[in-house]
Amino acid sequence: MNIVTLNSLSKTYPGGKKAVDSLNINLEKGEVFGFLGPNGAGKTTTVKLLNGMLSPTEGSCRIFGIDPTIAPEKLHALVGVVTEHAQMYQNLTGIQNLVFYGSVFGLSTKESEKRGLDLLERLELSDARDKKLSSYSTGMRQRLSLARSLIHRPQILFLDEPTSGLDPESAQNVHTMIRNLAKDHGITVFLCTHQLRYAQEICTRYGLMENGRLIAEGTFHNLRSSVYPGMKIKLKAQGVPSDLPCRKIGNLAYEVEIESEKDIPQIVRKIVEAGGEIYHVSAELPTLEDIYFTLTRKKEGSI
Amino acid sequence: MKSQMFAIIKKDLQGITTNKRMFSTLLAVPLVLSVFIPTVFILVLHFAPDESVNLQKLLEMLPINELEEDLSLSIIGLVLNYILPIFFLIIPIMAATVMSATSFVGEKEKQTLETLLYSPLSLKEIFRSKVLASFLLSMFVSAISFVAMLLVVEAETKLTTGGFILPDMKWALILILVSPAISLIAITLIVRGSAKAQSVEDAQQRAVFLLLPVLLLLVSQFTGVLFVNVWILLALGIVCALLALWLLRKSMDDFQYEVLLK
Repeated sequence: MNIVTLNSLSKTYPGGKKAVDSLNINLEKGEVFGFLGPNGAGKTTTVKLLNGMLSPTEGSCRIFGIDPTIAPEKLHALVGVVTEHAQMYQNLTGIQNLVFYGSVFGLSTKESEKRGLDLLERLELSDARDKKLSSYSTGMRQRLSLARSLIHRPQILFLDEPTSGLDPESAQNVHTMIRNLAKDHGITVFLCTHQLRYAQEICTRYGLMENGRLIAEGTFHNLRSSVYPGMKIKLKAQGVPSDLPCRKIGNLAYEVEIESEKDIPQIVRKIVEAGGEIYHVSAELPTLEDIYFTLTRKKEGSI
Repeated sequence: MKSQMFAIIKKDLQGITTNKRMFSTLLAVPLVLSVFIPTVFILVLHFAPDESVNLQKLLEMLPINELEEDLSLSIIGLVLNYILPIFFLIIPIMAATVMSATSFVGEKEKQTLETLLYSPLSLKEIFRSKVLASFLLSMFVSAISFVAMLLVVEAETKLTTGGFILPDMKWALILILVSPAISLIAITLIVRGSAKAQSVEDAQQRAVFLLLPVLLLLVSQFTGVLFVNVWILLALGIVCALLALWLLRKSMDDFQYEVLLK
């Protein structure tokens, strides 16, 4: 069953800028959807449309069957949102902020505090629980925002650049947490990011945005197949037979384009049978970053 | 009323009471109005030579039926029951202006408004929480000022004239009905202005330069009402209360998240 449905969702701002153009996306329970794209691609606008902060100019969206423009407050009880502009109170401490937001979501003070302390520990903020938010670093604030979005045990998370400003270790920790939330608790995650390396690690499906349009959508495998039907291997060998379709890229280093992994033993066999010596063979699979840049360049070329 | 709304009310009130400088200013001005001014009046009355002011003539001109035997006591009674109540229409509005003017736009500037809007409370419920927080503050300041005023005026009256003057029925009407109703009207309009404003300065200017003079003009007309009839005061109080409730119900009808976050 689809939890999130976007149906030709479009948003044109009063100045005439079309920020989101006919988006069609469906998300299922427990998916981690990587919504990728450069700044200004329309990712944040989409998150705001999905939470009722903006009204679509065309099309519609439903989350758990709720239209965010009609009953946003009902929807908000089920979702957790982290965006750059959704900050917390500077004059309150970390735990006071979490208790406040817990109470706003209908939790008792005791329950909010218990849940808040647990989240602070999981996000490595226990030491800063009684410090005012004004003394928090950017990374700490970002982690506290994530804790805030989880305080009411949401069923879907909208995370807009949740790891921006985090050091690599904290970012890794947050990503592991996001992955576990989806895997162990069935939480659906809508993750906007331009950190493609991290996205590749935790997302189950991707949507690539550019200038408000969804230029590609699917699993990593789908995207890779659409961009790179085959794959490359790198070889370090001596005495490579000349009939092999190798491209020399350095001293004893070669690159071979093949259709699938099944072709590798055949190439190795040919070199060995020709009396060559192999020092190294590795399959070069394109990363999400390679796919992303190829797709965006392709798009530019088509325009 | 949803329990979640209390969380916002509590947070807003704590925000103002924990800011000691701001809170002491909020208390100081009403206390000056309600304690200092009557004190000056009572002392002037006590120390000024009798022949310098013909107070008897003034009293005769006013539509007051019962006068005390002691002239000073009559004058103090006049001030207590006809002049000072007006202060209690102004004090709550004054006390709540800063808080209500910053209610929405302050959150917007601190980038906490969007977070609040992601809560399971409707815009109307958030709006009412903001209005109620300011209203409670205004009533608190008003109550403190009234107690302080009463203690000081009674003590000074006893010391200077040897007698007592008690507040009359109108005080009850003013404190329980008219003052809360007028404050609620003012606060609702100022909070609404705050939701529309682009900056805190904008909201405060709107409240101070546009709304307050109009309200104070209306309030000043109450002096006449106080002299006329308690029933008219009651009727006016009921009208104001109904208007306040109507405003509170209707105020956010045309608002959307998009307008607030703009």
